[in-house]
This record gives sequence, C-alpha cells and structure tokens, in this order.
Amino acid sequence: MVTKEEIMKIAILSKLSVEDDEIDKLTEDMAEIISFADTINNAADVESDFDNINNLSNALREDETMPSLDRELILKNAKDSDDGCFMVKNIMK
Amino acid sequence: MSESKISKLHQGLVNKEFSCKELTEKYIAAIEKDNEALNAYVTVTKEAALETAEKVDKKISAGEEIGLLEGIPMTLKDNISTKDIRTTCCSKILEDYTPIYDATVWDSLKKQNAVLLGKTNMDEFAMGSSCENSYFGGAKNPHSLDHVAGGSSGGVASAVGGNIAVYGLGSDTGGSIRQPASFCGIVGMKPTYGAVSRFGLIAYASSLDQIGPITTTVEDNAIVFDAVSQYDKMDSTSQGRKGAPVCDSLKNDIKGMKIGIAKEYFDGVREDVRKSVEEAIEVYRTLGAEIVEFSLPSLKYALPVYYIIACAEASSNLGRYDGIRYGYKAENYRDVNDMIKKTRSTGFGEEVKRRILLGTYVLSSGYYDAYYKKAQNLRGKIVQDFKNVFEGCDVILAPTVPMTAFENGHAVSDPVETYQTDICTVPVNICGLPAVSVPCGIDSKGLPIGMQLIGNSFEEAKILNAAWQYEQAAGKFTPSGFGVVG
Repeated sequence: MVTKEEIMKIAILSKLSVEDDEIDKLTEDMAEIISFADTINNAADVESDFDNINNLSNALREDETMPSLDRELILKNAKDSDDGCFMVKNIMK
Repeated sequence: MSESKISKLHQGLVNKEFSCKELTEKYIAAIEKDNEALNAYVTVTKEAALETAEKVDKKISAGEEIGLLEGIPMTLKDNISTKDIRTTCCSKILEDYTPIYDATVWDSLKKQNAVLLGKTNMDEFAMGSSCENSYFGGAKNPHSLDHVAGGSSGGVASAVGGNIAVYGLGSDTGGSIRQPASFCGIVGMKPTYGAVSRFGLIAYASSLDQIGPITTTVEDNAIVFDAVSQYDKMDSTSQGRKGAPVCDSLKNDIKGMKIGIAKEYFDGVREDVRKSVEEAIEVYRTLGAEIVEFSLPSLKYALPVYYIIACAEASSNLGRYDGIRYGYKAENYRDVNDMIKKTRSTGFGEEVKRRILLGTYVLSSGYYDAYYKKAQNLRGKIVQDFKNVFEGCDVILAPTVPMTAFENGHAVSDPVETYQTDICTVPVNICGLPAVSVPCGIDSKGLPIGMQLIGNSFEEAKILNAAWQYEQAAGKFTPSGFGVVG
C-alpha cells in the first residue's frame, strides 16, 4: 500500500509540490492507480527480448551543417530573457 | 454516407460550382454558429483560412490543376505544431505558446494548400478518454450535447462529426483517434508506428504516439493518409508508407479475406455494442470473407502494461515544462527550484499530474523491476502473440470501445474506471499496428457504436479495403444535424 511519505518523495522527484490539503485525496487516488498497475504482477514472468516495435532501426541522417534557428525567435516564447539569454533568478549567492 | 466528401468538394471546386472562398466562408459561418455548443475549436484561424482560399481560387481561375486536398477546409488537433498559430495541448502551461516551426504533417498539407480552419480541443497533453481534461472544457458529442465527444482527440471528432470541418488530423497514443471517432460516428485511423511523421507533434509517450486522419468516410481517410504518410528525415522513427497509395486498393474484392475474431476483445463489452459488431461479422461473411476465431490470452495485461509504459514515458517527456524557455511561469517564488515546482504544480491539470507521478513511481529505484521492466517484457509477449495471430488471418475485427459515449462529467469522477474503457484500443499502440474505427450501429439513445479493423504492420491498405467494403455494404453513418448541411 502506497504511503503519504512515498507520494511526497515521488512528488519531489517529479518537481511537483503537493499542498497539505491535497495529500490525502492524492494518496488515495495514487493507491488505486498503483494497485491497478500492480495487476501485471499476476502474469507469469516472461523473458522477452523486446527492444522496440516493428524492428525499427534508427533512421539516421547525414550530419550536415544547417542554419540554426534565429536566437530572437527562440526567445520569443520565454517569459523572461535578457541579452540573448533565458533569465532565471540567481542560483548562486 | 459512403461517398467521398473530399472528392465531391474537389469536383465542386474544379467545376466552379462554388469558389473556395465560398466553401471556406460556409464552414467559418458554421463554426460561428455551432462551436459554442460543441466546443470543438479552441483557436479559429479565419483570416489565414480565407487567404489560402483566395490563393486556391486564383489557381482555379487561371486554369491551373489543383490537388485533391487543395482548398478543402480542415482542422488539426492542438498538439500538432503550427508556426505562428498558438498550440496549447489544451493545457494552462502552454496557453500562450506559439510554435516557431511547423509539424511535418502540417508543413506538407500547407504546401498542398489545405485550408486550416483552426486548432481543436483535446484532453490536456492527450491524457484522457473524454476530452474533459482540457483546460478549455471538453468538446461535446454532435449526436447528443449531454455526452462527451471522447478523447483525447475529442475536438477533431466533434468538428468532423458536427460538420464544422471536412477532415482533421488527430493523434492516437492509446485510442485517442479511434475512440472519439467511434463516439462521434465517424472514421478514425491510427496508422502503423512510423508510417506518419511525428516531427512537431508535442510528445506524450514517444513509443506509442502516432498521428492519423479523422474523416466521415473510409475513402476520405485513405486520401488523407496517402497525403501525409511519407518518410521524414526529421523523425528518427519515420519509415513512411510502404507500398502503393492505399487509395489504389480500397475497392478490391475481399472474397477469401481472413478476418480474425478474438473472444477476449468481447469480455465486458456492452450487449448492444457486441450485437452491432456481430452483425458486422455477418456482413463480412456475406461479402465472402472467412471468419477465423482465435484466442489472445495476453490481452488482459495490455491495459496496465499500457498505462505503466505511457506514464513512464510521459514523466520524462513532460520534464521539459519548467517555465524557463516557453509557456506559463509561476509568480512569487523563492528560487529556481521553487519556480519550477510552482510552475508545474499550477500549470498542469490533475490527470497530467497523476500520470507524471505514476510514471516517476514505476521508474524509481526499488520499483523499476516490478513495474517498468515487467511491463516491457509483457509488451514483448503481446507483440509476439499478435504476430502469431497474423500468420492465420489478414485483419482482426473487434469493438472499438466497450460502450458508447459517456455522459458529461462521468469520466472525471473515477480515473481507474475511465482507464478501463481503453481496453480494446491500447493493444495496437503497444504493438505499433494500424487500426481503423468505423461506425457500425446506433444505441437506444441515438449514440453511435464503432468497430475497429486491426492490421499487421504497414497494412493500412488491407484494413481500409475491408472497412470500405463494409461501408458500401452496410455503412452506419448517421448525420448529426450540426454544421454545414449538404
């Protein structure tokens, strides 16, 4: 049975915050979902060499030099940018 | 309806019965009239549509030849990138995101002068079966506004079924094209993994996602598939269509075709749905097909295998939404880590967060072997089981969904109960196979029932051929009463 502590740990790994008033309901939902996922463990152990479907092999192209996207265009969707860079709060003191 | 709508409109344009501008204006007027009720479109691109229409009209006036899809009004699911047209995935986190490049499928249709009417509604990041996980509210079923259009490509299905688009492209990760097509009484195909380029499709689960056409007739579906199934060097999983255009073999005789029926596909299927599919089996018998019964015992694990793999891949794919480079960014935060957490927690909806958590859980240390690795091994087993089946039959016939469209609000109340409704659609995504859903009946409430034809890899021609023959013999298309009439 999944615990509140496990859900909090997974939330940290997922970079999601869980508020105090959400944790009980979320743990309940996740317990139900995980017990559903757990039904695969009723299946006998199978060894398969599954790698990918349709025997795909990477469709690689030649490494050619191509014009890259315009810097201003790339920054267009960012909420904060300055001097051609994405802006975030300082990470070092 | 069994006559190609696209071919009919194309003839109308070529014979100058109407201009492309008139046709486009008719669809835009229908959107203005009916979209409030259907909630199919989240963005309408009226001006760009009319500009393309004028371009096509000039070509026609100049006596130039036009292609089959040229000037035909259509739509795209809102997870297919369109340069300079906002693409939201129906999420708050991408509400104001405007791509700076086109998805390959749109790039190729744009070059064919397809008239894009707008972008259509979906479950947030394609996660859902009712379209109600959309940040913009769900799309409604054109056969009953009290019912959902299905999901996740609910907007495309609502628009095509509601006659406010001639056709559309959706994406199918676990049934997201076929299920809404079934709910809305139209034709939806999930092509073979690799047959249609996914460059520019905003990723949900990369080993399962596939773009495909949603149309009112099988022939239209074949026309659109032929137009978008090409090798694309920008997609490392791309293989393109193998063989001749599928339109060439649509009308082939199916005498002697072996149609497989697996009893497991009928477990838990509602009685009226089962009856409609069984009637379709009889139609195939009268058309001279041979019915082959077989068993697929591993099918019962397909659903949890699907959810484990899809969520694992989603938890990784959705790691990119951090508020820094694009999309929504939270306000009032302490530091970068706090900003990313607040952005994701307030930017994603509940279902998306649940799937990210499940995906992170099954990949985390201590649980990886019991869930992810086990699911991948079972995936290999299911792939092998389907391969064996195709040694004895040409196509598999099954219900698309065990029921008809849910009532509004029903799907959001219980996540696991809703996951169960994907039982018939997920196996082909796990195996990368093509499958098409076609209408095969109507329930007592007047809601459409759908069945699917599943083929071996790259055998779209076979399933569309079988679907076309059924449509001609006993097609169950019912007009919805919305949108452009006639």
